[in-house]
Amino acid sequence: MNPIKFLEPTDLPEAIALLSQHADDAKLLAGGTSVVLMLQQRLIAPSVLISLGRIPSYDYMRLEEDGLHIGALSRIRDLERSEMIRKFSPALAHTFHVVANVRVRNQATLGGNLSAADYAADPPAMLTALDAHLRVQGPAGMREIPLRDFFLGFYVTVLEPEEILTEVIIPSLPSSARAAYHKYTSISAEGRPCVAVGAVADFQPDGTCADLRVAIGAAVETPQRLKAVEAMATGQVLSDELIAAIAEAYAKGLDPLADVRGTAWYRREMIRVFVKRALQEVRDGAR
Amino acid sequence: MALGESVPMLDSVARVTGAIEYMVNLRLPNMLVGKVLRSQSPHAKLLNINATNAINVPGVVAILTGADLGPNPFYGAMIKDQAVIAVDRVRYVGEPIAAIAAESLDAAEEAALLIDVEYEDLPPVFDAQEAIQAGAPALHDEFPNNIFKHGKLRHGDMQAAFAEADEIFEDTFTSPVAQQAALEPHVAAAQWEGERLTVWTAAQAPFMIRKVLSEIFEIPPESVRVIVPPVGGAYGGKGHIRIEPFVAAMARKTNGRPVKFTLARAEEFVTVIKHAASITLKTGIKRDGTFTARQVTMYWNGGAYADASPGLVTAGVVRSVGPYRIPAVHVDSYGIYTNLPPAGAFRGAMSSQTTWAYESQMDIIARKIGWDPLEFRLKNLLRSGEHFATGEELHDVHFVECLAAAAKALKLKEPEARRKWKTGTGYGVMMKSTVAVSRSQVRLKLAEDGTVTLYTSTVEMGQGAHTTMAQITAETLGLPLKAIKIVGPDTAVTPFDTTTSASRSTSMMGNAVIAACGSMKKRLLELSAPLLETPPEELRTENGSIVADESSMSFEDVLKRNHIQELEETGEYSTSVGVDPETGQGVSTPHWHQGAGAAEVQVDPETGRVSILRYSAVSFAGRVVNPRLAQLQNDGNVIFGLGPTLMEEIIYDGGQATNPNLADYAIPSIRDIPVEIISTCIESGEGEMHGIGEMTLPPVAPAVANAIEDAIGVRIKDLPITPEKVLRALKEKNSG
Repeated sequence: MNPIKFLEPTDLPEAIALLSQHADDAKLLAGGTSVVLMLQQRLIAPSVLISLGRIPSYDYMRLEEDGLHIGALSRIRDLERSEMIRKFSPALAHTFHVVANVRVRNQATLGGNLSAADYAADPPAMLTALDAHLRVQGPAGMREIPLRDFFLGFYVTVLEPEEILTEVIIPSLPSSARAAYHKYTSISAEGRPCVAVGAVADFQPDGTCADLRVAIGAAVETPQRLKAVEAMATGQVLSDELIAAIAEAYAKGLDPLADVRGTAWYRREMIRVFVKRALQEVRDGAR
Repeated sequence: MALGESVPMLDSVARVTGAIEYMVNLRLPNMLVGKVLRSQSPHAKLLNINATNAINVPGVVAILTGADLGPNPFYGAMIKDQAVIAVDRVRYVGEPIAAIAAESLDAAEEAALLIDVEYEDLPPVFDAQEAIQAGAPALHDEFPNNIFKHGKLRHGDMQAAFAEADEIFEDTFTSPVAQQAALEPHVAAAQWEGERLTVWTAAQAPFMIRKVLSEIFEIPPESVRVIVPPVGGAYGGKGHIRIEPFVAAMARKTNGRPVKFTLARAEEFVTVIKHAASITLKTGIKRDGTFTARQVTMYWNGGAYADASPGLVTAGVVRSVGPYRIPAVHVDSYGIYTNLPPAGAFRGAMSSQTTWAYESQMDIIARKIGWDPLEFRLKNLLRSGEHFATGEELHDVHFVECLAAAAKALKLKEPEARRKWKTGTGYGVMMKSTVAVSRSQVRLKLAEDGTVTLYTSTVEMGQGAHTTMAQITAETLGLPLKAIKIVGPDTAVTPFDTTTSASRSTSMMGNAVIAACGSMKKRLLELSAPLLETPPEELRTENGSIVADESSMSFEDVLKRNHIQELEETGEYSTSVGVDPETGQGVSTPHWHQGAGAAEVQVDPETGRVSILRYSAVSFAGRVVNPRLAQLQNDGNVIFGLGPTLMEEIIYDGGQATNPNLADYAIPSIRDIPVEIISTCIESGEGEMHGIGEMTLPPVAPAVANAIEDAIGVRIKDLPITPEKVLRALKEKNSG
């Protein structure tokens, strides 16, 4: 068994060059909370680890005209505590706050979280509801990918082997919009979500819903939005009846998975409950 | 007054800062590291093990397989059914097939990958009740029906007693396989010098390990030295000999170099587990709320090897009846082999499973016959002077006080705003025996500088036992706590002790310490009497000095003036009780462990999620040595107990655990614990010190289940009480 080669590039082009050079044998390491666990459990066996730890200036938050730009190497804990993010979207700050536990949040990065494509994670559902898109750097330069097209399946994304996720852009919400994130844990309160619901709604001055986006995570392989169901809210007041109908449509319209955190039956029940609670929250204010 | 004071644990700072010398930190000169190759089959014949390529890996020093073992490779403290390392056959996924000693873990791991194992699969059986059916595969030839132990209790005429009943209740309660999940894994090192073996291990019973190793290697016990550094949690999982045999056998092949094995978390899940149990209670009740009879039938899943189970399955007999006045009782307790890892003690051993059963049924009965569950218990709880189902008279029992205190503490507070859903209150009481035959010895040395060293084989595993012993010494001998040092356990240095388990140390070792201190004090008084010109009976000890009416002399000076360099005394305390194996009649325990709990829960009716708002935990302590540590034991029991109650379960697929890590197998986090835990220790006039390491644990599961029924009217009989089970039950209730 050859020891794993540990490489520490000091800028992004060098990291991309190393990735191109080692291709499928390499694994990128950001915070390490996911990769190290997988290494320990022998789920992956890369011959090269390329650490992003020495690459400066990718742990930023910037408010620009088109929205909030978050550097991929930002720690979840820094995002959770950021005044800028709390003002931008309290629901997003809350999402970061409920990731795992503080030990993990101090270490894990947003780019690592998304690139790992672990279905039982918190940020993907909320960021999908917020219609985030990603900037990715590769040998041929930069490309943008909508988050909704990013996840292909369990632990698989559209990233090419030599590409690195560098930035997450979250479009600004109109001041008339409200968002909510509901994480439901069925085992330990610090565990991974059984069901994750991110909801964003924009409202007309008369209180009717102008636009609704609801993304389900953790209960399904990749975050899922049901656009036809979302459209049920357009032009409507989010009454208890309408919320119940949307929750029911999400419960019926998705094909939940089963794991230690719940059977498919239970997941379906919880999708109904937490879509309802998330929609009540966006209707009634709060975040 | 050292006794009764909340002094901090002696090693608390070292534990928190990591300065403490845990086994995992142990580095011996010239030390090799070990790695285990484990079975991937739950049940198979081993046709061939080929380690030719593995031994050639650079850095690999030696490989151990069954072929290295002598003609009689089997050991066991009670049933010799387990090979030091697999010979011919494997019986669970994770059973050690080969061990590798190497210069580095990388080399050992690479070698492990290069060992070829040829299996011929045999049919496996994982469920205890399936394993005793005709035609089930037999794991061991000597036990064709897979039952390795049948514990019994026969008290009274069951037929007549059930005939007297107005109502008969029959319910089955189950507990799944769980893992003790101590922070520190199993870790052991061994070194041979000729025919002398030294073993360093994180374990609870060093002398038992010494005895079994001496049997395995056919050397005198005195040739085996077992050293136990401070342990990072055990919870019963380190209460028996586990990895030491193969570690010692591996070290025999390394030319005198020590070899150390540190198990990975996933290996912990195949090293020891909690007994899965199915317990059926048939109980006869009269209309006036009294019992006529109880029949208990228990199936314990012991896993592939008997290990500690024969003793535990037997101990489970008296732990299954409940602290109630029941004229006729029959108990059958079956220990059963299956193709799962060997099961062992799990904090609150056997009582966690049995209390779950009998305290859940108490509420079922009470609700059915129209009694308040609290009143129904208080009416039937046993009092001192009454007789238990073993025929023994009960002394110093305080079940009523414990339960009343638990209930009262919850009633004291007004409902608070955090209640969002329907709430309910539930109770649980438990009665647990401790080790029937056991012995503790201690050696006490007073040095010429006036310091006292206590040599004890009680294992400090985070419970504060060494602090307790120091406090008892300080109190009994009359000297300041800071003058006391604790040494041990090391079987070459510290005297015999049966085990640090079953919450016995404070009582057993504590009394041995009192005896040693008594002898030491007597010697000191005799030695100082002529110097102080006062008869010994008019002298007392205080703060490290012998005190007469008008004069005093330090311990130091007493030695100096008598030209004594050091003074040594020993103390011993032992108990020897027992019951008839066929009838279970006799005296089952030197004293009874007693505890109670009251839970206030709320249940989210849409998700089934249960949260514990407040929990009141009461243990009978006899006499509290250290109130703060006692409270932490009570609190820790509740938090530990909430794991199996709400979330802990190892899930298997074909005998392979699918969640052998602490991400998928969850234990309670700080955010899962009750908003408030109210801790109470009951003391009695007799002042006999009781251990309290488990007393408030077994009541947790039934108290929570009873509170859930109180809140939303559903009864869960299978642990853990997951939100999904609660929601299903709720939907069934609402639809039916």
